Amino acid sequence: MAVKEDKLKKVLATIFKIDAAGIDDNTSVDTVERWDSLNHLNLILALESEFEISFTEEQTIEIMNYPLIKMVLKEHGVEFQ
Amino acid sequence: MTAALHKEITNTIARVKVDPTYIAYSALANLTDSAPDLGFPQYRISILRNFTIEPLIPVIKGEAMRLGVAADVRLSDFDAIAESVFNSQSQIYSHDPHLMIMAQWPETWSPALTNKFLTLTPEQIDDEVERVVETTRNLIQAIRSNSTAPLIINNFLLPTTRTLGILDFQSESHQTHVILRLNRALLEMSKSFPDVYWIDLMSLFSRVGYDNAVDQRNWHIARAPLSKNVLVPLGLEYAKFIRALSGKTRKCLVLDCDNTLWGGVIGEDGLDGIKLGQTHPGSSFVTFQQECLNLYNRGVILALCSKNNEADVLDVFKNHPDTILKEHHFATWQVNWDDKATNIRRIADELNIDIDSLVFVDDNAFECDWVRSQLPQVEVIHLPKEPFHYRRDLISPGFFDSLAFSSEDKKRSAMYVSDNQRKLRMMAATSLNDYLVNLNLRAEIGRANKDDLPRISQLTQKTNQFNVTTKRYTEGDIERFFGAPNSDVFFLRLTDRISELGLIGVAIVEYRDTVADIDSLLLSCRALGRGAEEVLLCAIQKSAATRACKKLTGTYLMSKKNMQVSDFYEKHGFTLTEKTPHGTRWELAIEGRPLPNYPNWINVLEINT
Repeated sequence: MAVKEDKLKKVLATIFKIDAAGIDDNTSVDTVERWDSLNHLNLILALESEFEISFTEEQTIEIMNYPLIKMVLKEHGVEFQ
Repeated sequence: MTAALHKEITNTIARVKVDPTYIAYSALANLTDSAPDLGFPQYRISILRNFTIEPLIPVIKGEAMRLGVAADVRLSDFDAIAESVFNSQSQIYSHDPHLMIMAQWPETWSPALTNKFLTLTPEQIDDEVERVVETTRNLIQAIRSNSTAPLIINNFLLPTTRTLGILDFQSESHQTHVILRLNRALLEMSKSFPDVYWIDLMSLFSRVGYDNAVDQRNWHIARAPLSKNVLVPLGLEYAKFIRALSGKTRKCLVLDCDNTLWGGVIGEDGLDGIKLGQTHPGSSFVTFQQECLNLYNRGVILALCSKNNEADVLDVFKNHPDTILKEHHFATWQVNWDDKATNIRRIADELNIDIDSLVFVDDNAFECDWVRSQLPQVEVIHLPKEPFHYRRDLISPGFFDSLAFSSEDKKRSAMYVSDNQRKLRMMAATSLNDYLVNLNLRAEIGRANKDDLPRISQLTQKTNQFNVTTKRYTEGDIERFFGAPNSDVFFLRLTDRISELGLIGVAIVEYRDTVADIDSLLLSCRALGRGAEEVLLCAIQKSAATRACKKLTGTYLMSKKNMQVSDFYEKHGFTLTEKTPHGTRWELAIEGRPLPNYPNWINVLEINT
């Protein structure tokens, strides 16, 4: 499915309480203050809920930055405009 | 800044109503911290847990915002339930919660009964059931000795990997029945404590489906068993308790007619053409009507709001062979060509209930949108395309769920119907006094006995308008007033020529030295206009006199909904002693005064005074 990238940015903005406009390829577990293990869990659940997919165990550990999230979502058929 | 924030909250709540997803609730939960500045009362929740429950919190907080409160949630340390519960200094208690939740994941609560069932002998099974019940009893006991906050506990799930497969259900000694027996034993045990409620995880997970609801991956990685599919349903289920405990249970269901209560349009298709009957597609509408009737029997008031000629609509309820609902089930209706927001306001006014007690149901997106925009306090259910899903969408939000169900509730809807008949008769009466005398009012007043306490607690939680202090009390609270030597709980029952209203008035009085202070005085809104409050005041004054009190004192605490009693004490001869930003204090000297008489239009029987 093709979706607007805004939808993905909104998920991160809501989970990590950051500004959606500031999200780019540098956004990662190292640059976001609230990206701890509990919020990472919420992120996984929110992404799976919003895009109706299920990550594998490896993927849940992989998606530690914005580019990787987009890449893994693409593997699940989610393309960003 | 505040106006912008207010708008953001309003818009986010509106969004969640239309699109109740996890991320929508999370966005709403993010606004909770700034909500108290905008007047949202704080609602403190303490959660004891033995698993990773954090992902659920945004849904509970978001739904609490929708209910109008800012939830402040404190979690116990992970899997430290006993440590927190038995430590009276624990932050779980110092949080001073309005609500306590104990969330125990069954596999941790009893690994033996959930995962190792076949390793147990029958004696060991019985011992383990008893152990679970007794340790839970001890936990509840410790909680109760430190807090009076209502407590919600979850029950055990049905085993999905039943240890004996298809043989499992065939015997009471196998796993499935043991779990059912355990849940019943837990319920039985909990009844010896006040204000303990069960969240039925067994039922909820059945609806969602165990495999859908339990995230095995996250359970093993992070001890977080709640899947993305169960977070919203489970969070909403907890929030239903918040709704019920804070007096926000909705009271009235306003129904559209065409393509809601029957298929098709009555004005065009006629009685023979609308779809309502034993076979498809009319059978879906019969099922839906039956569910509305079930709500009626739960005490929900039914009303109609339809763009039609009144005669056409009433024709269906009077003459259609397959209609389940009849004219007499509806307390009122607005069937005309005016806009639905105006009509819904008229319905609320006529029934003398607040606009935020209403739920509006319609199949038409335009109507739903219009009502949502004009009356944001009304909960709107936009019915789905498929009529066979109507029933599910009506019931699953739980807008009408309350935590007590009494015989009064069963009679309530019929009462609202006859109340309207009474109003029509009222207009024909020559004077108010004539009319009241003509009503043949009979009252029972006195000190409550134990059986009355649940109903009394319910009234304190639901009554918003004729309520001088709007203090919400649980059954445990009422029991304390009831049992204490220096306080009294008064009940008032009323019957008139048209209907038996039941227990509709409450007063709570505390005696200190020579002063009798009225802590609470309230009347159910359907008992208004009959002077029933005079009976309560009279009984209070008589009781105070027998205790040689020199004066009565009372407080009026201002709320959004009780303006009509702001002058209650003034009207009854009390003098103003204090004025604060929150309300007023009043007193009445009773020493040396003759005992008051009950109003002459009510026949009063004193019980247990």
